[in-house]
Parts: sequence; structure tokens; C-alpha cells
Amino acid sequence: MKLHLTVNGKARTLEIAPNALLLDVLRAAGYKGVKKGCGEGSCGACAVLINGRPRNSCLVFAAQCEGADILTVEGMGTPENPHPLQEAFVKHGATQCGYCNPGSLIAAKALLDRIPAPTAEDVKEALDGNLCRCTGYVKRIEAVLDAASLGKK
Amino acid sequence: MLKNLTHIHRPSTIEEACALLAAPDCKNIALAGGTYLAESPDTTIQGLVDLTGLELSYIRETGEGYAIGAMTPVQDIFKSKLLKGATGHLLKSAAGRIGSTLLRHSITAGGNLVSVFPWSDLPPALLALDAEVQIRKGIPKRTIPVQTLLEKNPRDFLDKAELVTEIHVPAYGATTGTSFTKFAKTANDYSLVTVAVRITVLQGLIRDVRIALSGCTKQPVRRQEAEAFLKGQTPTPERLANAAARAAQNLELTNDFRASKEYRSEILPVLIRRGIEDALRQIAA
Repeated sequence: MKLHLTVNGKARTLEIAPNALLLDVLRAAGYKGVKKGCGEGSCGACAVLINGRPRNSCLVFAAQCEGADILTVEGMGTPENPHPLQEAFVKHGATQCGYCNPGSLIAAKALLDRIPAPTAEDVKEALDGNLCRCTGYVKRIEAVLDAASLGKK
Repeated sequence: MLKNLTHIHRPSTIEEACALLAAPDCKNIALAGGTYLAESPDTTIQGLVDLTGLELSYIRETGEGYAIGAMTPVQDIFKSKLLKGATGHLLKSAAGRIGSTLLRHSITAGGNLVSVFPWSDLPPALLALDAEVQIRKGIPKRTIPVQTLLEKNPRDFLDKAELVTEIHVPAYGATTGTSFTKFAKTANDYSLVTVAVRITVLQGLIRDVRIALSGCTKQPVRRQEAEAFLKGQTPTPERLANAAARAAQNLELTNDFRASKEYRSEILPVLIRRGIEDALRQIAA
């Protein structure tokens, strides 16, 4: 079946199986920034924005996204022109192996889109579905707060 | 993975959705948030009926309380500014303890209720609030207590062509307090014991009380014997402890790798007592 959706601002038409999950469809379409971790909604590495909502793409059928607007980490910034959150993650050492970063960045972006000046508690809650085993859970909170304090989104 | 899935249906009306669910020649299943079905190994499911187009994502005030559309993401309940008072406190506390932020954006109020798992967080809160569900079968509709829906598996209770479309939750006044406790190993893990309490005190006497449990039993349950023990009485510490002990009795407790039934039976009366005490404090607050 055909799936029509917008990924990172670009209209796409993808051929999908009815039972395909959004995570697999996005990766097959070249969005390798979307990571497969646990595949059961625990780790958050696969998080993408679906119509502005941060969700685990491993637990969403691609077919549920007909007409949807999707944002993956590729749509946030590039190595030449990183998103302020990406800069802050680097600056604060909130990245090591990097596997969780795409999901954590998406979850953090969803927070700042809703609350431009969050508290540390807001950040903890917004990232509660994104595991990061390398850096612990302090540096990325500092990074998000720093990105927010610069008034950037 | 749904290996034998061949069709995705996207109805735009409830009537259309119910007709698809009723299809005799094709096993069609309602698809809400999808967090359960995405992982399901069910090979009998042939079609999914995506409920996204039915416009069932809303929270509204009604004459009696609130109406919550079945497709409302539980994150919207958690962050709702409309839900207030004792009802709002209990619903938001329960919704906020479901999974993680990412999951709460996917999981819907109706999905969490109908595909009830032992650890589902919303059902005990809805039981404690005497909530009702509106069920549609095309045009015809019926309204039944959540308690009736949960007496057995909701999927067995509902007719094939029936769809839960709305949850009705009464509002309670300033003399009512509520409390929600989820006891789990980590903030995101499944519940070992969940306790939802609603209590109304007038002139020093307990006028009404609900104690609902989940996490520790196969299905969410109300503890009516303990409720009756408290009704009409003064809430003394001894009576609350006694009621909590009663509420923890005569249950078939879950025994799994997360916690033994012995462990659950130890913590259960303590958590129930604290839950009642917390609900009483919420009245004063």
C-alpha cells in the first residue's frame, strides 16, 4: 500500500506493507538517524515527532501516519548547521556513543516547542522515556536548560 | 508483528468503524494508539480499523463532570488544564504514571481501558471515580459503568461491532479527596501494586469511599467490603489501618519475576492505608 506523509518538511510517498512499523519504514527510506534500540517502547532511541508529538516510532504502524508530519533528527540540524540543542549536547558532554541522542534530541525539542523556558523538573519529565547509559542523566539536562536559556529553539 | 495483516481501514465515522469491526469474513481489530498491537504476535488479525479519523480526541466539561474521548492521548489528560478538583487530581496522577512521555503521547484513554493489562494505570482510577463508558454499535449506543466493563475482559464484554467512544467521569466537590499510588521498581516500569482511592467526608463521617487496586491482580478490582467497613464511620487511624488490611485480603495476588505474591501481600495493606490517608489530606488541601 502507498503511504503519503511529510518527513522533515518534504512530501514523500512510500510503498509500505500494512504491518510495517514506522521505525522500519523511516530507516528503509534513508532516515538512519532514527535508531532501533529495544523495539518495545522502553529506550526511546526511535523517537520522532508525529504531528508535533514525540512518540516511539517502534510502536506506531507506518499506516497510522497517512498525511502525518514527521520530524526525525535529520530534520533538526546538519553537521555544518547544528540545532542549538545539538550544539548544547556537544558542549555539555551529553553525548558519548551517541545512540540515544537522536531520540533524546527529539524529545527535548518537543519540550522546548511547548515550554521555551523549562525547569530542570520539566526536562527530566520530558526525557523520562529516553535511556542514556553512557553519560548518565545530568549532562543532558544541563544541555537542554542551556539551549533553552539562550532563548533558542 | 501482525504477520497476516492485509488491510488498514481508515473510517471517518463511528458507524463506518463499527461496520468494519462487524465484518463476518475478515477479522478486523480496532486500532487506537497501537502500542500493544505493534508488538502483538497475533496471526489471526487480518485488518486494523484505525480510529484516528473519528475525532474522538478531546476532554470536555459536562453537567456532571467530564467527557473524555476514547482516542485522547493520556498525555493530554496528564497535562489537562480543564480537569480540576478531586477528579482532576486522580485522573492526572494516574495518567502521569503511565509509561514514559513518549508512550503517553501514543497510549489513548480508551486503549488503556479496553486492552486492560494487569499494570494499566487508568482503569483503577476510573473505577474509584465511578466512571462510565459510552459504547457505540453504529448508531445505537449504551452507557455502562467502568466497573461492569472490567468484571471480565472488556474485549469479551464488548460485542464484535461495539466501540468504546467516550469515558464519562463525574466531578466531586470540595469534601472529596483522591489519591493515586503506583508502586514500581523504576519510574517507568510496570506497577507491582497500584492503589486508587476516593473518599468523601462530611461532618467528620466518611460518606462515601472507593478503593480500587491493580498491578497486583489479573484485573483491576474494587474492594467493596473494605469500603462498606469505612462508610458512615469516623476516619480514625485504627479504622483506616483495619480497612486497609481488609482490602488487602482475599485476593489472588500476582506472583511473577517482578515481585512474589508474598512481597505484594506485605506492601499492599501499607500502600492502601497510606492511600486512604493521602486522599483524606487532599480534602483539607
